[in-house]
Amino acid sequence: MSDRRLILFNLLRGLAAILLALAVAAIFIFISSEEPLTALKYLLLGPVVSFKATGNVFNTTSFLTILAAMIPTIFSGLAVCVMFSANQFNLAGEGAIMLGGFVGALLGIYLKLNTGLHQVVCVLAGALAGGLIMLIPAVLKVKLGASEMVTSLMMNYVVMFVILHFLNFVFADRSKGATQTFPFLETAKIPEIVANGTKLTWGFVVALIFVVIIALFMYRTKWGYAIRMIGINQSFAQYSGMQVGAVIVLSQVIGGMLSGMGGSIEVLGRFSTFLWRELPGYGWLGITIAILAKNNPIFVPFAAFFIAYLNKGCDLMATYSDVPSEMIDIIQAAIFLFFAAEQFLAKYRQRIVVRNAQRDLALQEAAASQGGSNS
Amino acid sequence: MEQEVIVEQKEIVEQEDFVVQMRGISKVYPNGIAANKDVDFLLRRGEIHAIMGENGAGKSTLMKILFGLEQPTSGEILINGQPVAITSPSKAISLGIGMVHQHFMLVPSLTVAENIVLGMAPTNKSRLLVDYKKAVQIAEENAARYNLRIDPNAKVMDIPVGMKQKVEILKALVRGAKILILDEPTAVLTTQETSELFKELVALKDQGFTIVFISHKLKEIKQITDRLTIMRGGRSMGVYNTADISESEISRLMVGRDVVLKVVKDKSQPTETVLKVRDLEYTNRWNKKMLDKVSFSVRKGEILGIAGVEGNGQRELVEMLFNLNVPDAGTVTVCGDSIVNLSQDKIRNRGVSLVPEDRMTYGIADIATIEENVISDRFGTKRFNKGPLFNMREIHHESQNLIVDYRILAKSFKQQVKMLSGGNIQKVVVARELSSKPTLLIADQPTRGIDVGATEFIRNEIVELSRGGTAVLLVSADLNEVIELSDSLIVMYGGKIVAYFEDSSQLDDVTMGEYMLGLKHQTEEEIAKVSYE
Repeated sequence: MSDRRLILFNLLRGLAAILLALAVAAIFIFISSEEPLTALKYLLLGPVVSFKATGNVFNTTSFLTILAAMIPTIFSGLAVCVMFSANQFNLAGEGAIMLGGFVGALLGIYLKLNTGLHQVVCVLAGALAGGLIMLIPAVLKVKLGASEMVTSLMMNYVVMFVILHFLNFVFADRSKGATQTFPFLETAKIPEIVANGTKLTWGFVVALIFVVIIALFMYRTKWGYAIRMIGINQSFAQYSGMQVGAVIVLSQVIGGMLSGMGGSIEVLGRFSTFLWRELPGYGWLGITIAILAKNNPIFVPFAAFFIAYLNKGCDLMATYSDVPSEMIDIIQAAIFLFFAAEQFLAKYRQRIVVRNAQRDLALQEAAASQGGSNS
Repeated sequence: MEQEVIVEQKEIVEQEDFVVQMRGISKVYPNGIAANKDVDFLLRRGEIHAIMGENGAGKSTLMKILFGLEQPTSGEILINGQPVAITSPSKAISLGIGMVHQHFMLVPSLTVAENIVLGMAPTNKSRLLVDYKKAVQIAEENAARYNLRIDPNAKVMDIPVGMKQKVEILKALVRGAKILILDEPTAVLTTQETSELFKELVALKDQGFTIVFISHKLKEIKQITDRLTIMRGGRSMGVYNTADISESEISRLMVGRDVVLKVVKDKSQPTETVLKVRDLEYTNRWNKKMLDKVSFSVRKGEILGIAGVEGNGQRELVEMLFNLNVPDAGTVTVCGDSIVNLSQDKIRNRGVSLVPEDRMTYGIADIATIEENVISDRFGTKRFNKGPLFNMREIHHESQNLIVDYRILAKSFKQQVKMLSGGNIQKVVVARELSSKPTLLIADQPTRGIDVGATEFIRNEIVELSRGGTAVLLVSADLNEVIELSDSLIVMYGGKIVAYFEDSSQLDDVTMGEYMLGLKHQTEEEIAKVSYE
């Protein structure tokens, strides 16, 4: 029961962090806007409500686009969950997504396969590319002790510029004004669940399936178990006889595969040619999402929804009021701050822990005295 | 004997001029461990006063209370006759108390002078920038005044340990300390550095400083201190003038047994040799020889105890046996196979299990559940896996059984381990390590800091395991435990085995104390008997 109280506390703490962050945002909106209430209305309700003279109605299209925006961030959120669970602060999700998207795109252009099989091959190749590229920071960490945070962060830019080179000089469609590839074959495109232009593709279903798969992997398999134990206490894992190095590499390769998969699904679902000319940003969002989800895969879709909703709200606010869309950075930073700060409300948590410990101690003494009188 | 002590304390109380009076100090930690029980500690102005006692005797806790790092549960403190509440180290410093910790609290990348003035650095006219020249000047002036030789411009990471200690002492003096607490100051020093330190301490004493010296090295204490307080099991065993008490008397008071917990066990019937350690050597990175030609064997069905004051090589020895560290020379074999440099899973596969000394570092993953903790050495086996997935039923079953068998007091196997009490956390570790039916069990301080009930239970489990044919190596700084639990016993001192007793049942504390504190050692022939083929 006490543990349940702690879980409840954690949930409330998350909620409090979000509310406080929104409060901070509201303060900034009131400072920077001439019409703060309109701005807030668009920020908080705009993503799902159409404001019409005849009344406000639920905006289904807008809601579906929010779901569509979750597709790549669910993958990158899951990737970060796996890597952070092993206590590996690998930030190369960004590069792996771009690489996965690029590899998937090339196969979507130049490979000739039947539809159905074509998408699967493209996405798997994207995943493979993402996994392979993650070997670099992972192996450097395990073999040489190089900080994965530094190597992975730098690798993002290496990956990006290598891709740009090939995009500019090898695969560019010269007939177009902008630098982009030739269009994907129709067989490679990931179709929408309902053809309504919301870009809510079957990729969304795949993403949800992977939420379940990764949740099972982390909590119901020996590999996920080893990843989590290494993340909690590496000395303990080593002393217990786990293959610490191998598992650390595994966690990052899985993270890379998930990122690569997300990248290729996004590219083949949303666009008709590959036109990313910079890092897409989903990797960074994945970090925010994993932190919001406390590294638990099951919470990833909710966190991804929250972020997508907020993004949409900020966009609308920027369009229909005088608040700049950069506001979202402030809101995100505030959420980050409140969530990541372990000390946030630590006093109250400590109080719960102490109370539990005291009650356990009392229970124990009662049990001990009982045991004593029996023997 | 108890009465003698009381009489002696009364005499002392009647004398005058105490700079520190701690009276009736008790300290109960939140986890229920009573580290100090009604301790009186009186410090005369201008003396060097030793606090002696084994690890866990409560001397560090007492000093932490004096330095404001811990708050006493009850009792009063008077400084220069005035009752005070020392709520923080900064309060302690303002009262003229300084502490030099065993592990230095210095910033390695800053210079000596910068470290000395840290937090109170002199500034130049702008009041923003540190006036480095002035800092050097302060450091040099103080170094000259107290005759502590240092190089103010050297970076702390480049200077030898002995000088670091002087920097620590200077740090305290610059902050106005009149009372210096030194926590095991010689533990990290070479012989030459130690004698230099002693000269400096005597000089400080002559200038009117009062020094508290925490140690368990008898010879040093005899050499430098005026009086000493002996602690055991959280209580003060009395205050003595150093000149009036013999080394063997000190050792008797320090390591004597308070409560003798009897362990009922049959006589051991050892058979073939399981663990063979030969000529193991290890020098640590501070160039201190921690293991010096250590050789011994452990046979099936017996418990071999290793007694000794902590820090005499026991920790390093255990690390070598589980590949947590690599020896410089020597061999370790289990049932004939070398285990040096084998990974932990291979060592475990050979039937070795370890109850580690530091349960929070190695023994458990604190925020994981009890269940996740008890399967950490066996989660990959066929029994707990069904295809790619865990067989959760089998895992629940196993953890539930272990909780019942090892009497772990918990609400369920889903409870976080860190929510348990110390004794129950240790039972989680013991449950895992003993239930794997090991060929060789290494139990390193298996009952440290846990309650009597859990202690008794764990000891009985270890005996039962050994009588079932497991070879047990027991390492313990608790004299009562090694004597009662072991069939035969070796004593380690200064990285060497200094004594071997084939039958530990007839041993008494006085003899043991003398070996443990390095006053006596056996001949090489006697010691070599523990190396069975």
